[in-house]
Amino acid sequence: MKASSVRVLLVIVPLAASARAQTIDDGLLMPSGVLGTGSFYAHESWSQYWEGTLKRDNGNIGTLTTQSVTWVAGYGVTDRLSVMALLPYVWTRASQGTLQGMHGVQDFTLAAKYRLLSTPFTERGTLHAMVVGAAGIPASNYVPDFLPLSIGLASRRFSGRFTLNFQAYAGWFVTGSAAYTWRTKVTLDRPAYYTNGQLYLSNQVAMPNVVDYTVTAGYEHGRLCIPISLSQQRTEGGGDIRRQDMPFVSNRMDWVRVDGRVIYTLPAPRELSIRLGASRIVSGRNVGQATTLTSGLFYTFHL
Amino acid sequence: MPSPLRPSVLAVIVSCAAAFAGSGCDNTITSSEALPPLEMASLDSNAGSWRMIVLSGPTQFTVAAPVAETSAAYAVELAAIRTAQANLTAAQRNSIAFWAGGGVLRWNQIERELVARFNLPPAPRPDGTYPVPDPENPFADPQFPFANPPYAARAYSYVAVAQYEALKTAWYWKYQFHRRSPARIDGGIRALMPVGDLPAYPSEDAVLSGVTVEMLKVLFPAAVAEITQRAAEQRNAALWSGKAAASDIAAGLALGKAVAATLIARAGADGMRNAVGNAAQWQALADSAVARGEIPWISQESPPRPPMLPNFGLLQAWLMTSAEVTTERPPAPPSTSSAQMRQELSEVRQTVDHLTRDQLAIAYKWNDGAGTYTPPGHWNDVAAEYVRDARMSEVRAARAFALLNMAMHDAAVGCWGVKYTYFNPRPVELDPGITTVIGLPNFPAYPSGHSTFSAAAAMVLSYLFPQAAPDFDAMKDEASISRLYGGIHYRSDIERGKEHGARIGGYAVRFAQQDGAN
Repeated sequence: MKASSVRVLLVIVPLAASARAQTIDDGLLMPSGVLGTGSFYAHESWSQYWEGTLKRDNGNIGTLTTQSVTWVAGYGVTDRLSVMALLPYVWTRASQGTLQGMHGVQDFTLAAKYRLLSTPFTERGTLHAMVVGAAGIPASNYVPDFLPLSIGLASRRFSGRFTLNFQAYAGWFVTGSAAYTWRTKVTLDRPAYYTNGQLYLSNQVAMPNVVDYTVTAGYEHGRLCIPISLSQQRTEGGGDIRRQDMPFVSNRMDWVRVDGRVIYTLPAPRELSIRLGASRIVSGRNVGQATTLTSGLFYTFHL
Repeated sequence: MPSPLRPSVLAVIVSCAAAFAGSGCDNTITSSEALPPLEMASLDSNAGSWRMIVLSGPTQFTVAAPVAETSAAYAVELAAIRTAQANLTAAQRNSIAFWAGGGVLRWNQIERELVARFNLPPAPRPDGTYPVPDPENPFADPQFPFANPPYAARAYSYVAVAQYEALKTAWYWKYQFHRRSPARIDGGIRALMPVGDLPAYPSEDAVLSGVTVEMLKVLFPAAVAEITQRAAEQRNAALWSGKAAASDIAAGLALGKAVAATLIARAGADGMRNAVGNAAQWQALADSAVARGEIPWISQESPPRPPMLPNFGLLQAWLMTSAEVTTERPPAPPSTSSAQMRQELSEVRQTVDHLTRDQLAIAYKWNDGAGTYTPPGHWNDVAAEYVRDARMSEVRAARAFALLNMAMHDAAVGCWGVKYTYFNPRPVELDPGITTVIGLPNFPAYPSGHSTFSAAAAMVLSYLFPQAAPDFDAMKDEASISRLYGGIHYRSDIERGKEHGARIGGYAVRFAQQDGAN
């Protein structure tokens, strides 16, 4: 539950560059020699979750709230190649029950985005295609085995992403992005666990890989940019949460989410942009039905 | 949008996979214990004279004499094995390899999986009440059983004792008849698992299959199909491997089932059917604590859940009389209004507010909460490695698990009796500022079940494997203190629990010292 939403965060936390800013799955690159950095605050909460496919609440959790502050940075190495980095600090809390919230530095993500193609397409705009490679590793020795209070899943990840973007001269744009994420085994503190119908006499957990898709449409006018996204995560395996059981790190965590953002670049200083966002999980499996509010500041330097 | 992108995505995947080859993406986890083919260190040929626990003796069940090795009927059995061996499938070979590791160890592993599968509490109904798992309707929601720690301790013990009694009986009859294994008789039959000098009739594999399947069907009725299939697989593996002939297996199966019936009769009358209690009794437990001037235990779950198995402490113990169960109890816990309780409560608060990563690791290592094989299962997991490494005969391995699990069952009986005598609140109830890093068990605090189980288990394992006694002692202390780190137990719960568990474990050790197996 929790962990998937943190993954959401990694994907959607914006890596703003200039007017429109940049995320791992958008169709944009940092201009060469431009460095941007900022931080974002996210507040995510849910009071219902899917136990397998059964939607329920839980009096021993109440509302599960996850807050995070993420440092982000992006740099345009060339006009075709950008690199970016993220590092979130996450803390969790349950409003009911006795379970202790957790907090700490979560996973460090480093990504490189390379533009394959940028060409006029029809008479209306420009088509961009790009690939992104991203790697994430846990940046602290946090506990992944206390879901939904754990701050993350503690798996190392590598993802390959392809993004296609059409930018109309009139200001609107559409972007499609898809990624496949490989995940390494997770090591637990215990010598055995039961998941997906089987007892494993091991402290190592095989993590199913993940596919995600995002479709974004938006409009940009002057200092304002408004993207709206529909995204889906599908986990390629893993067990369901059993009836009245706790979630487990390798559960099949699937969801569909809608997400809206507003990015506004200040008139002065023009290097500063503000962003606000809201998202909601509309359907899911082994995840919480999270509502997330984000806000952030991003500053660009022309080196 | 996604579908037109797929070919490109695949291209990216391929290139990235190539770039990151060798970065440790092997995701294979071996689920079961690695068990080499069991080459018994000793045949334990005198095991037929080892002391019984429930049976009157090895002749309580008579095994008829087998037909002669030279008979025409037996020749037909040998021919059947030759035919089977000539046509073995890969699945059959895997089955032989699996069961060659030792039937007692394999069944213990299977039972741990069953416990983990069934160790889930019922979900609340919309009206805030909880349904009770029903053995007459085991496939419903809630499934039967809720294999919580006392239930699991009892289940492990019944299976282990039944196996042990059945194997001692089998050993007795084996050495009455001295019939050899097919692979020893017929040069055309290969030994596909270790076939030693142990007489084959009745087959120990079939005895284990028969006794275990009957016990597990009663304890985990919803898993009947899987259990039955596993048991048949074990018998077939004995046959296909050249270890036992059809008549060895038939005699073993019948003996195993007969011994199981005796244990099942005991289980029906040991008090388990009354262990859940009723609402009036749950209220009386709280009223009694109030009358003594104490703060009573209150469920911290939402909605409040009835306490776990309040009458489990009245169950019949294996190695202790009911008078001994009572006399071995620890003294009363510190009063909920005492300075000592305030100090111990403060220690819990200080601990959970300043947990180190190492302390968290210990809390999770020994949590063994809902959805796991429970603390008794954890100790079986620990024991299995030592039993394997000692290359014990099946009957000696059964003895080890019987001693261990009788001690832990009696620890559960003893501990639950004390818990419901004092009905002492958990730390969270007395200080709502305390948070727990593991699930809060839904029953009174004093004394710690983990500590009692672990001390009893460590006592028995230290007797069986004295060279590892310091390790068991350290594990016992770690399992016990993990409950303080978890925020769910006071120090008194842990210390008195360990002392209590060690006294209970002593009964099993004293039994073992005089059972004729040394």
